[in-house]
Amino acid sequence: MKQRYQILTVLLFFVLTSVTALAQKTVSGTVSDPEGKGMPGVNVIVKGTSSGTTTDTNGLYNISMSEGSNTLVFSFIGYSTQEAEVGTRTTVDIAMTEDVSQLNEVVVTALGIERNTKALQSSVTQISGDNFTQARENNLANALAGRVAGVSVNKIASGPAGSTRVVIRGAKTLGSTFNQPLYVVDGIPMDNTNFGQSGVWGGADQGDGVNSISPDDIQSTTVLKGATAAALYGSRAANGVILVTTKKGSSRKGLGIEFNSNFVFEKINDVTDFQHSNGNGGLVGPTLDTQVAKTPDNLTEHWGNWWGLQGWGPKFDGSSVVQFDGVSRPYSYKGDNFSRFFETGTSFTNSLAFTGGSETQNFRFSISNLNSKGIIPNSGFDRLNLSLATNSKFGKKLTLTAKVMYSHEDAKNRPNVSDSPGNASLAVYYTPGDVDINDLKGDPNKLGGVPSLQDQQDNGITIFDGKSPGEEMQVSNNLWTQNPWWVAYQFRNDDVRDRVIASGQLRYDITDFLYAQVKGGMDQYTKKGTQLTPEGTGYQRGGNMTEYENRSQEINLEYIVGFNKTFGEINVNAFVGGNQMRAKGEYLAANGNGFNVPFFAAINNAAQRNFSYGISETGINSLFGSAEVSYKNYVYLTATARKDWFSVLNPNANNIIYPSVGASFVFSDAFTGLPSWLSFGKVRASWGQVGNASSVGAYSINNTYSLGTAHLDRPTANFSSGGNLPNPNLKPFTSTELEFGFDVRLFDNRLGLDLAYYDQATTDDILNANISRASGYTSTSVNLGEITNNGIEVLLTGTPIRGAITWDVSLNFAKNNSNVKALIEGQDRLAGDEPRTRTVRIQHIVGYPYGMITGLKQMTSPDGQLVFNADGAPLTDGKYQILGKGVPDFTGGITNTLSFKQFSLAFLVDFRSGGEIYSGTNVRMTQAGFTKQTLQGREGEAPLIVTGVTDSNDDGTYEPFTKTLTPGEAANYWGNLGDRAQENFIYDASFIKLRSLTFGYSLPKSLLSKTPFQTLSLSFVGRNLAILFKNTPNIDPESNYASGNSQGLDYFGVPPTRTYGFNLRATF
Amino acid sequence: MKLINKLLLSALLSGVLVTSCDTDSLHDMNINPQAVSEVNLNFFFTGCELGAASGGDAGDNRYIDWRTNIGMCSYAIQQLANAGGGIAPGEKYVSDGSTFESNDAPFEFMYGTELKHLAEIIKQTGPGGYDEGNKVNLRSASRILRAFLFQRLTDYYGSIPYFEALQANSGGTFFPAYDKQKDVYADLFRELDEASAALSASNPDDGFATADIIYNGDIAKWKKFGYSLMLRMAMRVSNVDPASAATNVGKAVTGGVFTSNADNVWVPMAIGPSEWNNQNGISRAFYPGDGGQPSFLSKTFVDWLKGTNLADVSDDDPRLMIISGGIAEWSPTTWTVTNGNPLEQKGMPNGHTQSTLDILEGTTVDQVATYSRMNFLMLQDDEPYMLMNYGEVELMLAEAAERGIGGVSGAQAHYNAGVKASMQMYTPYDASLTVSDAAVTSYLATYPYGGPKPALEMIGEQYWVNHFLNWWEAWSNWRRADFPTLTPVNFPGNSTGGTIPVRLNYPNAEVGGNPNFEAGSTKPNVWTTKLWWDGGPE
Repeated sequence: MKQRYQILTVLLFFVLTSVTALAQKTVSGTVSDPEGKGMPGVNVIVKGTSSGTTTDTNGLYNISMSEGSNTLVFSFIGYSTQEAEVGTRTTVDIAMTEDVSQLNEVVVTALGIERNTKALQSSVTQISGDNFTQARENNLANALAGRVAGVSVNKIASGPAGSTRVVIRGAKTLGSTFNQPLYVVDGIPMDNTNFGQSGVWGGADQGDGVNSISPDDIQSTTVLKGATAAALYGSRAANGVILVTTKKGSSRKGLGIEFNSNFVFEKINDVTDFQHSNGNGGLVGPTLDTQVAKTPDNLTEHWGNWWGLQGWGPKFDGSSVVQFDGVSRPYSYKGDNFSRFFETGTSFTNSLAFTGGSETQNFRFSISNLNSKGIIPNSGFDRLNLSLATNSKFGKKLTLTAKVMYSHEDAKNRPNVSDSPGNASLAVYYTPGDVDINDLKGDPNKLGGVPSLQDQQDNGITIFDGKSPGEEMQVSNNLWTQNPWWVAYQFRNDDVRDRVIASGQLRYDITDFLYAQVKGGMDQYTKKGTQLTPEGTGYQRGGNMTEYENRSQEINLEYIVGFNKTFGEINVNAFVGGNQMRAKGEYLAANGNGFNVPFFAAINNAAQRNFSYGISETGINSLFGSAEVSYKNYVYLTATARKDWFSVLNPNANNIIYPSVGASFVFSDAFTGLPSWLSFGKVRASWGQVGNASSVGAYSINNTYSLGTAHLDRPTANFSSGGNLPNPNLKPFTSTELEFGFDVRLFDNRLGLDLAYYDQATTDDILNANISRASGYTSTSVNLGEITNNGIEVLLTGTPIRGAITWDVSLNFAKNNSNVKALIEGQDRLAGDEPRTRTVRIQHIVGYPYGMITGLKQMTSPDGQLVFNADGAPLTDGKYQILGKGVPDFTGGITNTLSFKQFSLAFLVDFRSGGEIYSGTNVRMTQAGFTKQTLQGREGEAPLIVTGVTDSNDDGTYEPFTKTLTPGEAANYWGNLGDRAQENFIYDASFIKLRSLTFGYSLPKSLLSKTPFQTLSLSFVGRNLAILFKNTPNIDPESNYASGNSQGLDYFGVPPTRTYGFNLRATF
Repeated sequence: MKLINKLLLSALLSGVLVTSCDTDSLHDMNINPQAVSEVNLNFFFTGCELGAASGGDAGDNRYIDWRTNIGMCSYAIQQLANAGGGIAPGEKYVSDGSTFESNDAPFEFMYGTELKHLAEIIKQTGPGGYDEGNKVNLRSASRILRAFLFQRLTDYYGSIPYFEALQANSGGTFFPAYDKQKDVYADLFRELDEASAALSASNPDDGFATADIIYNGDIAKWKKFGYSLMLRMAMRVSNVDPASAATNVGKAVTGGVFTSNADNVWVPMAIGPSEWNNQNGISRAFYPGDGGQPSFLSKTFVDWLKGTNLADVSDDDPRLMIISGGIAEWSPTTWTVTNGNPLEQKGMPNGHTQSTLDILEGTTVDQVATYSRMNFLMLQDDEPYMLMNYGEVELMLAEAAERGIGGVSGAQAHYNAGVKASMQMYTPYDASLTVSDAAVTSYLATYPYGGPKPALEMIGEQYWVNHFLNWWEAWSNWRRADFPTLTPVNFPGNSTGGTIPVRLNYPNAEVGGNPNFEAGSTKPNVWTTKLWWDGGPE
C-alpha cells in the first residue's frame, strides 16, 4: 500500500510540473481503426494541457503544441487511450485498438439501451467477455464470483452441471424459493428455471437455465444491481438483472476467424481430516460403562450390529478381521479412499467463430463444443453451442438485427447429494479406514454389484444379506446407504436439453430524432431426462425408472418509439413502449416400478407404470416509458415508469406501476479550474421501485380440484394446490430502493473509486408462510412480509504501474445488512429448509437478518451450566435456538492484472466474511466415529471429561457434575452431541480463496507475420486453486447443497474441486 | 410519408398498446386446463379411505406407519423388538434423530390429506356447498371416518386442534386453537351419533357404492362401523368419564355394532399404479429391498402366544404360527423358513442391542437365525389394511359387561366370541391363515374366561393380540386398561426414566409455530405425560 502512494505522488509531481507553456509546433497525422481505416472523432490532446482537437471524417488531425510538450494522447470511447512521443516528428500516425476495459464508458442498460456511464444514476457493472473464457466455468454465473461488488455467487456442491445461486444486494424476498436475478440475453429474457434441488431427503441438483450459454459467445455481461437500473423490467427485476450481450460481427476485410481451445483438469480438493487409527467395529458390553471396542468376529456380528459404516472399532493392529464381503483382511489403515474413488475430471472446450461483413451487412457465426467429465466416475456434462448473429442496414434508416443461439446440453449422471439414498459421495465419507473402497467394486462387469457365484467361490466372498448376483453389493445392513460404485455405474440421472434462443430487432429511424423499433424474441427448450434406480438397489430392490420431458417456451414482443433531440445545450432522450410476454411450460413423465424382464432397465419393461402431466401458462402485458433530460452532458435527470398486467393475478387487481427517478451530476465536467489530477468525478442519486410476482404460479390463486392416482380403478381427487392454500387477493410485492453513488477517477484515470450506498425495502412480500398443519394446509401465500437490505459497495481500481509493465488492481467490497421487519401476522418466525439431521432449520426471524440458522442446543441450567444426563451425554430442551446466520456480512474480491511485454498474469482472490454454516457432514462423521475429536475418550486416547450439572432426581434442580467418560460413554456422548447439541457443528463460513488465475503468453507480431495467425496466445488457467483461509473442518465453507432460500446448510455434497489447465487462443 | 403522419402513426401505435393490455385473453390464461372447480365428491372419498389406512393419499404410504405405528407403537407395546436399525424410538425410549419423525408424522400428515378431504366432502354436502343436501350416505360415512381419524390423533397427542381445525380454506383460520381431549371426545360422540343415524339404505346412492372401497356402499355395515367406533371411544373414556361411557356404550349397542368378521373394516390395497399411493405402507416398511425395517417379534409377544407352558404346543395360542412366519430368512428375493417348529419359536427381548444380545445369549447372536419374524404372508405390498374388527367389539362388550357399563351383559359369551373372531380374521391376508373352530374351543377350554387370570386382564391381553399391525390402537388401549402387564426396558440414556411412553410429543413446527400452542396444548410436552382418558389433564 505504501508503495502505491509513492508511485502516485511521483505521478502527481510529473503531471503538475509538465504544465508549462513554451514555443509552439504543429503536428498532424492519421488515426486509423484496427482495420486500417481512418477513424473520425478521436480526441487528440496534448498531454498535460487542455489543448486538443478531434479527427475529421477521414481520421486526420492537426494540432499545435508547445515546444515543451512532447506527448500526444489519443482517446476514443471503447478504444485504448494511446500516448505518442512526438520528438522531432511532425507527423504522428496512430492505430487505435479496441479496449475491452474501456467499454465501461458505454454500458448496456435495461432494455438493451446503451448509455454513457456519465448518465448512470445507479450502480451498473459491466464485465467483459474475456473474464469468462480463460479460467472458465461451465456455468457462466459461477464466473461472476468475486468480480462484482454486492453480487454474491454460490456454486452449489452438486457437480459439473449443477446450478448456481446468484444474489444481488441481499435477498429481497422470503417468499419465493429463489432470490435470483433476471437473465436477459441480447434483450430477450432467458428462463433460468431450476429443475430440482436436493432437499432434506436428498436428490440431485437438476441444473438451471444459464448453463446453456457458451462463455465464448459473451461480449460482455452487465449487472443491473439497483431498483432504478432495473426498473424498466418492472415485475421481473426485483432481484436485479444480469444482461448478457453476445458477440456480433463487424465490417472488416475478408473473413475473421477466432479459435479458442481450453483444456482443464478437475481434481478433488480434499479438505477432510479424519482419524486414520480406528476402523469398522463398535462398542460392545451390557452397559455403557463396561463397553469395549471390538471388531466383528464374523459377518453375523457385523450385520447384526449394523456395522460397516462407522469407525468405532479398536485401534488398528494389523490383525485379520472379517469385512462386509466375508473376506478377512488386515485391520489397518488402507489409505485414501477419496483419491481411489473420485477421478480426475477433465473439461475440453473448443470454439471457432467466423466474423465478417461490410458497412451494410455483417455476421458472426460460432460453434463451441464442451466435453467434460466429472470427478464422480461415469458422470459428466457436454454442451454444443451454435450461434449466428447478423446485422443488416437497408438504406439509411432501417436496421435489422437477428440472432439465433442453439445449445445442446447433455448431462450424465447428475449426482445425488444431501440425504443418503443414492449418494455416492456420502458413501465414500462413510467408508471405514480399514476398508479399501476398491474392494466394494464387486462384479467387475457390473461395478458395485454382487459378483457371480463363481467369483464368490473363487474369492471367498460371502454375501450375507441373501442378495443375488446382479444386485447391489452392500457393506452394511443399512439399505439406505449405497455402494458408491453401484451409484456411479448403475444409477442413472441423465438429461439432454435442446434450446433455441432467437431474436430479431427492426429499427426504423423515422427522422433524425425519432425512431421506432420492434423486437421479438423466443427462448424455447426441451429437457428430456432419464432417471433410474436400478433393480437390486438396497432400499428399492425392484428398481424404479422415470422418463420425463420438460418443455418451456417464453415469447416476448416489444415495441418502442423513441425520441432523441438536442435543443441548444439540452438533450432529451425519451421513449415509450410496450411488451407482451407469454410463457408456457409442460411436463410429461412416465414412471415405472419393478421390471418384468430382470435387470432390463427400460420403461416399457416396467411392471407398474404411471404417468404424470403438468402445464403452466402465464403472461404479462406491459407498458413503459423513459425520459432523460441532460444539460451540457454533465447533468442528467431521468424518470422511468412501467406498468405490468399479470395473468396469474385476480383480474380485479392485476396490475401495478413501477416508477423510478434519478439524477447524476458530473462535477468534473461542470466546473472549470478543478485540479487536473481529477480525471472524472460524478455524484448520483436515484430512487426506484421494482417488484415480483414470480412466486405466484399459474392457476394458483383459485382453489380448484385435480384428479389423483386412481385406486382399484376408482378415481381419486385432490386439491390442485396441494398443501398450499391459494390466496385470490395476492399482488406482486414491491421493492423500493434509494441509492446514492459517488464515482471519481484520479491521476489520468489511474486511480478510481466507485462508492454506492443503497437502502432497499421489500413490502407486501409474498410469503409462502408455513401455517399450522391442523389448518389443513402447510402453507399459504400472503402479502405480509417486509424485509430490508441496506449496504455499501466499494469498487476501487488502480493502475500502480503503467508502462513496460502494467499492473491493474481492482478491489470490490460489499457489505449488506438485511433485516426481517415483519412476517405473517402473529408470527415472528418463518420456517425454511432443514437438513437430514432434522435438528436445525433455517428460519427468518423478525428483527434478525434474513436466513438465520436455528437448532437444538445443549440444555443449560438457570446459571448457564451445561446439563448432562447420568451417562455424561448432553441433554437438550428440544427448543430451536439461534445458532448463526446463513448469509455473510462482507463479500468481495481483488483482481490483479499484470502485463509485461508478451506476458500477462491475472488472478482473482475473493473472500467472504461473517455468516455461518451448519455441517451435517461433521455431525454424521462424529456420530460414526470418523472425526478426529471422537478419538477423545477411547481406549488409550486422551480422556473425555464432561463438566457441568445434572438433574439426578429429575426434579428440576441441578447438581454439579463432572465425569470422566468410559469408552462406551464417550461414544454415546459423541452420538448424542450430534443429535442434541448442534451448536458444536456450526462454523464460521468466512473464507479467502484463490478463485482464478491465468498466466498467458502472446506470440509477438513479428513472429506471426509469416504465419496465417494474426494473434496467438497460450495461457495457463486455474480456478479455485486454493482455499487460503477457512474455519470449517472437513468441509469447504461453500458446501451448500441447494441453491434455494435456505443457505448455510451442508450435508454430504460433492467434495470441492480445483481446476487447472491451458487455454489456447488464435485469430486468423 | 410526411413527418406529421409519422408522428401520428407513432402516437397511434402507442395508443393501441395502451388499450390492449388488460385483455380477456390475459385473464383466460389463468384457467387451469387440468383442473375443475367442482369435483365429484365420491372421488375424494376413495382417497380418504385409502389414506385412513396407510396415508396413501399423501403420496407416502409408509411414512406414518413406519415412523409411528411401527417405530413407536409396535415396540412400546412390545409386539416387535429391534436390536438395531430402522426407526425404533419406542423400543428403548431413547430420543435420537428419528424420534422427531415418529412424533411428528401423524400430525404432519393426517390433517393435510385425508382429514382435509373429508372436511371438504362434509363442507360441500352441507349448507352452502355445491352439493348441498345430496350424497347423504357419503357425507355420513365421511363423518364416521373423520371421527375415526380424529380419535387416533387425540389418542396420540392429547389436546389437538379440532373445532377450528381444517378451516384454512373456509374460515381463514391458519393457526387453530387447541381443544382438550375431553371436549374432542364429546364432539366425536355427537358426530358418530348423528352420522350413524343419518345413514339409510333409502337414501339415493349418488355413486357412493362405487367410491366406497371398504364396504362397497353397504349402509348397514357403515352403521355398524359408526356404532362400533362409538363403543371403542366410550370404553376409552370409561375410567375418567363413566357417565359418558355408559351413555355411549348403551347407544352403540342399541344402534347395532359388528356381528361377524364379515363386518371388519378392511381397506383393499393394490400393487399399482403407484407404489407410493396404492400399496400397503406397513408391508413396504418391512419389505427387504424397500423399507427394510427389521421384522422380529418380541419375546414378550412370542412367549405370550406360546402359552403358560413354553415347552408344550397344546396350550399355544392358535395365532402363534399365523403371526409368526417362523424363524426365517427374508431376503429381497426369497422367504425361507429355517425353523417353523412352534416349540422353537423365539422372540427377541426388547431393549437390547446386538452386543447385549450376545452377552445375554452367551454367543454371537445371528438375529436372523435366532428370532421369529412376522409372517411374510401378512406383509405383501397389496395386503389389505385393517382399521377395525368384530373381535375387538366383542372384547369391548365383554369388558363393558364385566364392569357393568351401559347395561351390557354376558361377559363370558362376549369374550369367547371375541377370541374366536380375533383368531379367525386373518384369511383376507392369505387363505391359509385359518384357525379351526375346534382349535378355538380347545384354546378357550385351556384358558377359560376369568380362569388363569382375572377377567379384565384376559380381555386386555386379547385386545392387545387382536391389534397386531394396528399397534397404535393396541398402545392406546394398553395405556387406558393397563393390560397386558408389560415390563418396561431401561436402556442407558433413555428419555422416560425407564417407563413406557404414554403419548407422542407435538411437532416442533407446532411448538414454535402455532401461537395457540402454549395456551391449549397438553403439558408437559413429553412422552411421560398421561392423557385425559389415562388419568391425565383434560
